[in-house]
Amino acid sequence: MRRSLLPLILLTEIVLFTIISGQRFESVPDFLLYFQSYGSDLLVQSAPALLLAFGMTLVLMTAGIDLSVASMVALVACVMSTFEGGTSFWWTAIPVGLCLAIALGAVNGVLIASLDVPPIIATLGTMIFYRGLCFVVMGDLENAPFMDVPVYEALGRVTGAGLVITLVYLIGGSYFHHSRWRREILMLGGNHVAARYAGISVSRRVIQVYSMVGFLAFLAALVFTARNSSISASSLSGLELKVIVAVVLGGTSVQGGRGSIIGTILGVLIVAVLEEGLRGAAIWGDRNLPFNISHLQYILLGLLLIFGVWNNTRVAIPARRQALPHTEM
Amino acid sequence: MHLPAPPPPIKRRLLLLLFANLILLASTFVLLKEGGSISSVLLRLGPNIAPIVLAGIGLTGIIWTGAIDLSIGSIISVSGTIFGVAVVRGVPPLAAFTSCVATAFLLSMLNGVVIRALRIPAIIVTLAGLPIYRGVSLLLAEWAIPQFTGNISVTAERYHAPGKIHAWGILLTAVLAAILLESFSRAPRHWLALGSSKEACSLLGLNPGRIQQTAFGVGGLFLGLAALLYVTRIQAIEPARMALGFELQVIGAVILGGTNIFGGEGSYLGTILGAMFLYLIVQVLVYAGASPYFQDAITGAIIIGVIGTDCALNRRRKQLEELS
Repeated sequence: MRRSLLPLILLTEIVLFTIISGQRFESVPDFLLYFQSYGSDLLVQSAPALLLAFGMTLVLMTAGIDLSVASMVALVACVMSTFEGGTSFWWTAIPVGLCLAIALGAVNGVLIASLDVPPIIATLGTMIFYRGLCFVVMGDLENAPFMDVPVYEALGRVTGAGLVITLVYLIGGSYFHHSRWRREILMLGGNHVAARYAGISVSRRVIQVYSMVGFLAFLAALVFTARNSSISASSLSGLELKVIVAVVLGGTSVQGGRGSIIGTILGVLIVAVLEEGLRGAAIWGDRNLPFNISHLQYILLGLLLIFGVWNNTRVAIPARRQALPHTEM
Repeated sequence: MHLPAPPPPIKRRLLLLLFANLILLASTFVLLKEGGSISSVLLRLGPNIAPIVLAGIGLTGIIWTGAIDLSIGSIISVSGTIFGVAVVRGVPPLAAFTSCVATAFLLSMLNGVVIRALRIPAIIVTLAGLPIYRGVSLLLAEWAIPQFTGNISVTAERYHAPGKIHAWGILLTAVLAAILLESFSRAPRHWLALGSSKEACSLLGLNPGRIQQTAFGVGGLFLGLAALLYVTRIQAIEPARMALGFELQVIGAVILGGTNIFGGEGSYLGTILGAMFLYLIVQVLVYAGASPYFQDAITGAIIIGVIGTDCALNRRRKQLEELS
């Protein structure tokens, strides 16, 4: 997709939903104030998705996919929530959560790289497995030790969440952009046999990428629990789909070998504005539609996914068709 | 150098599964508490495994062609909602049952058409179908039923006949039909051929697009039956939560049964035995005193374990072929 189209879609969405939500502006400061709070809300709401989308972009570049991200975030948060609140939380729960998250990601990586399981099947399996473990850990309970931890709450506000996101995207992104890593990942996504013969250690790179998704899942768990303050075994289900839709909309190809991190940010924002906008349009929807307008979200998400992939393949396929006749599944 | 090892024959997998199922069934009887009798366990078995077995048979054909359907759980929820709306509107039972089966068939066909028309991998199309159909069933319920509260309760006994009374009959008939289809019809051969090599298929003069479409059509019919048995067994139809994660159990059963996830290899009998195995193992663990919360974790672990070994074996085979 032309990259310039994305900001345009975003702007149209914002204008449309602002009109539908029935917001009226008396003066210019009024207008600015509204958008300031709207922006910070949006940032905090979409913080977990933004963090995970960074990793998902890399995963899609390797021609993989990770369906287990939401389950990973939930499992890490569930395990951390079993520790007691208080200052000790920082040196008990946090390291445990960090190690667990990286291990969960590495399990995905090993399944895919060392055992040759197709990524979508491997992560589908771990998605059920990790979610099942959430229920084993939590049962039907809901734990909320997070508010008793000093300073933790700041992670859920604009400053904290914004700082984490900025660090990941600016430092991680710029390092990634200039490193050899990026070219190796793109190459092994484009053609992993060629990458292997070019001397890239394919399986190590793949395991690294999935472990990094695990690390990002840990950060997402921090940001999410700091904001929502409680966690249950079924939290966050469906997040993986939003993340994938966002990344694909941003122009990253599901067949690997092509991707953009800036596109991903815009993609996440498009999905988040859509979700937020439909919530804001509830009053309008109640009056004019025979159904709950927020349920429209599912349908639009699915359609966006198909549209994004279709749009990407339209650009990418002709050159690749002959080289890789078996990419379809 | 050793010659590459021949692929593990599917017969061995079938025997293994049969054996495992018998052991599990036997341990169910052993672990049975005073109150339960053997016949009641067997009576319950049919209605409980029928949806997974039937949907599994449908999905097996689709996977043979090298495609996949991740949206079957959501399709069942749309069929269920249509059925629920029909019940609320007072439609006679037979018409309600037909509409339920027809919905699943049409949506499965729609999946096939979209995959063909847009030339997007099946896995992406049906991954998108997952939220789309779920949303459709929610909107449908809210639009068609005034004062919709989140579930549609079906109390009249005559609407429960297929799932509660005739489940064993429908299951056995459908299984018989599937095995006859596999043994004597040409269509399943075509599906396997398409999954093995699309190029060879079109060079032989077969039409890959049409073959895949038939697979989705036949799969849709079996899925419709599965939806019917699923829906008529439960008291309240909840569009938002019904059959959530059902597709994962079905895919697990199919792969456990020895069907190659890339297509071109497999058998219906394997899927049936795989579905039984997944059901029985959880049952045995529950009888043995494990908490029901372990169910998903166990299912996930088994699927990962089986697919992992499968793929690792395949990998060695591929590498050996590359060397020789």
